[in-house]
Amino acid sequence: MKIRRQTLSPYLDWAKFFLVLGLGGYLIIRGSAQVGYSWHWRSIPGYLLTYNDGHLQTGPLLDGLLVTLEITLYSLFVSAGIGLATALLRLSGSRVGRWLAMVYLESIRNTPLLVQIFFLYFVMAPILDIDRFSTAVLALSLFEGAYASEIFRAGIVAVPTGQWEASHALGLNRFDTYRAVILPQALSRIVPPLTSQAVSLVKDSALVSTIAVYDLTMQGRTIIAETFLTFEVWFTVAAIYLVLALILSFAADQTKRYFRTA
Amino acid sequence: MIERLFVNDDIPPIITASHVCKTFPGPVVALDDFSLHVDRGEVLVIIGPSGSGKSTFLRCLNGLEEIDGGRIVVDGIVLDSNEKNRLEIIREVGMVFQAFNLFPHLTVRKNVDLAQRLVRKKKRADAAAFSLRLLERVGLSDKADNYPHELSGGQQQRVAIARALAMMPKVMLFDEATSALDPEMIGEVLDVMRGLADDGMTMVVVTHEMGFAREVGDRIVFMESGHVVETGQGEDFFLHPRHRRTREFLRQIL
Ligand SMILES: Nc1ncnc2c1ncn2[C@@H]1O[C@H](COP(=O)(O)OP(=O)(O)O)[C@@H](O)[C@H]1O
Ligand SMILES: [Mg+2]
Repeated sequence: MKIRRQTLSPYLDWAKFFLVLGLGGYLIIRGSAQVGYSWHWRSIPGYLLTYNDGHLQTGPLLDGLLVTLEITLYSLFVSAGIGLATALLRLSGSRVGRWLAMVYLESIRNTPLLVQIFFLYFVMAPILDIDRFSTAVLALSLFEGAYASEIFRAGIVAVPTGQWEASHALGLNRFDTYRAVILPQALSRIVPPLTSQAVSLVKDSALVSTIAVYDLTMQGRTIIAETFLTFEVWFTVAAIYLVLALILSFAADQTKRYFRTA
Repeated sequence: MIERLFVNDDIPPIITASHVCKTFPGPVVALDDFSLHVDRGEVLVIIGPSGSGKSTFLRCLNGLEEIDGGRIVVDGIVLDSNEKNRLEIIREVGMVFQAFNLFPHLTVRKNVDLAQRLVRKKKRADAAAFSLRLLERVGLSDKADNYPHELSGGQQQRVAIARALAMMPKVMLFDEATSALDPEMIGEVLDVMRGLADDGMTMVVVTHEMGFAREVGDRIVFMESGHVVETGQGEDFFLHPRHRRTREFLRQIL
């Protein structure tokens, strides 16, 4: 019974997905006709790719996508580093370390990401003298790092205490115990949710357009300001985010599968 | 430098525990004014009912638990808050757990290599060669490249013994090393332990295997509620137990 459900459910999910998509599309076409919106899809491909003098050139939307990807990738690594460091601090014997970690986690979890971005951009960036792009990466990393730390912590505490005791009995120090014994075993519980976290990261990264980083969202806003192709551009931008998120979700599923069999 | 209490005394005990106290939150008194010594080359067997503090004593010996009172001296080094002393003692004391606790992500040989590489700082080839010799000794050289989950319980426990021996400890602690094993695998592990004893290894063995205790144990200690009730020489202990509690315990278990 259980196995049947598992093999069936992806198809069911996709069927539901396309059903909702079709229904939504139908409603939008009906609705836009009512408000008298005239569609101009023809110019959209040019914002993705242009064909100039015999070679292809990326348009602003693809440029924006590349920036989004870049921000996501950097933030993924930096947030993983912050997450690991915070998790280790929380699990450390040091009272000050645990307190620092808690202060960081509570301030990140209890303030809006947008406020954090503005805070870094308007307050910290001038002080630290860092550019917009780095500010964006830093803001997202600090935000996602708080969630990544929970993933790391959960992965680490799931390793049986016997592994700690065996390492201790052999005379391994704390660093070697983490590096050679605990983290390699925690990896299977850390990598899949961390990959899922990349999906949130892609979506949250849209907020960096508010500090004029030319990511996908910012490029979309710029095009609309010039052309008033509101519906077409937002549809296109949303579709690109959707595809990107679906690819990452798929990758997360694959890592889960990989670690289950390994 | 590590400071030792004695230098050329005439064979002092390798382990001396005097008036050791250990209380867990609760409060549960696990060791209550507990005193015991272990001579060099001796096989000391500790028996006693569940919850009497046997594991706690072993865990205090290698620093897995900190004692609340009393004193533990291992090979002339006082086990105290001095980090250097603690490390030196941990390195001189090997431990085998009831649950094996092998590293599941490493092959058998790498399990045995690990501490040699990271703690003893041996070269890869030297560590590997020594590991193979130890695996041969526990009869598992053909499993060197297997992973722990591919081995039976008895084989895993023999690897765990090889892994502890890799640190060249002066004392080996066994905490119910055969209790988690299927009956048909107990023998192979006890055989390895017997071999170690024959080679003169100092051993502290917590076990419910009375046959092994009788045959291999030089001295038997019966403990209950955190202290020693009775100590006796191997065979004699079982033939002439002095205390009523010891007799009751032996009657139950034999
Ligand atoms: N980590 C711990 N926390 C609280 N109580 C403990 C802990 N470890 C052992 N104890 C208690 O200490 C007593 C002695 O336990 P233990 O040394 O494991 O006994 P034995 O190995 O002889 O069965 C028991 O009452 C046990 O419940
Ligand atoms: Mg026990």
